[in-house]
Amino acid sequence: MIPALSALTGASTIGPSSGIGQALGPVIPTSIDGQVGLAPAEKTALGGGGLSFGQILANQIAGVQNLQNVADLKATQAATGDLSDIHDYMIASSEAALATDLTVAVRNKALEAFTEIMRMQL
Amino acid sequence: MGLFGALEIAGSGMTVHRKWLDAISDNLANINTVRPTSGEAFRQRYIVAQAVDYGSGQGGVTVGAVLYGDPQGRLVYNPEHPLADEGGYVRLPTINLGDQMTQLIMAQRGYQAQTATIERAQTAYNAALQLGKSA
Repeated sequence: MIPALSALTGASTIGPSSGIGQALGPVIPTSIDGQVGLAPAEKTALGGGGLSFGQILANQIAGVQNLQNVADLKATQAATGDLSDIHDYMIASSEAALATDLTVAVRNKALEAFTEIMRMQL
Repeated sequence: MGLFGALEIAGSGMTVHRKWLDAISDNLANINTVRPTSGEAFRQRYIVAQAVDYGSGQGGVTVGAVLYGDPQGRLVYNPEHPLADEGGYVRLPTINLGDQMTQLIMAQRGYQAQTATIERAQTAYNAALQLGKSA
């Protein structure tokens, strides 16, 4: 993963003391070599061996799908009169809506970062 | 506990308070239920709230047990009643109306407190989703 995207996975290699020159350091050689992966030292810094951003996003979408299914089930129960607690449906639908918003926000941020990189003048 | 722990915990609180309201409703509905002295009086319902250990990763509350009041009830002298025994007595439940109304207020306020928690949690989560939007 490109260090610039590392903030999306919750870890950042850019320390508080490092300047812009240092932060950009790893980007230039990797783009010249055509490598997308991280140097071994950076992998360990990011807790290497973890999931890629795509896998994390896929897992999150699966989780959102589960929440949507729960909300759908509660809606059906409410319609058929099998729902014993009104708030169960309201909470399930709120959770599904919030999780969907969160996934969309993550996707938008990732796309934003990608277009930012594509616009970069080399 | 998932991503929205506060919502699920408040939801469990709402379920317990809803059941408490149900129990009070049942008690009040049967406050004048007459039984013959040969049988049991209507037994008042008590909801026992049981905390779910937060350390277990769950949190929240469940109904631990439903307990029942005195089956003896109180004997009331009412010889005209069709269910009265030879001595003229019938059995009525030992439900105190004032006590039930107090519990009704407590259950209602508790239920409202859970909805307040849910509203605040939703506001907080939505605020978190707005982070970085303006930048």
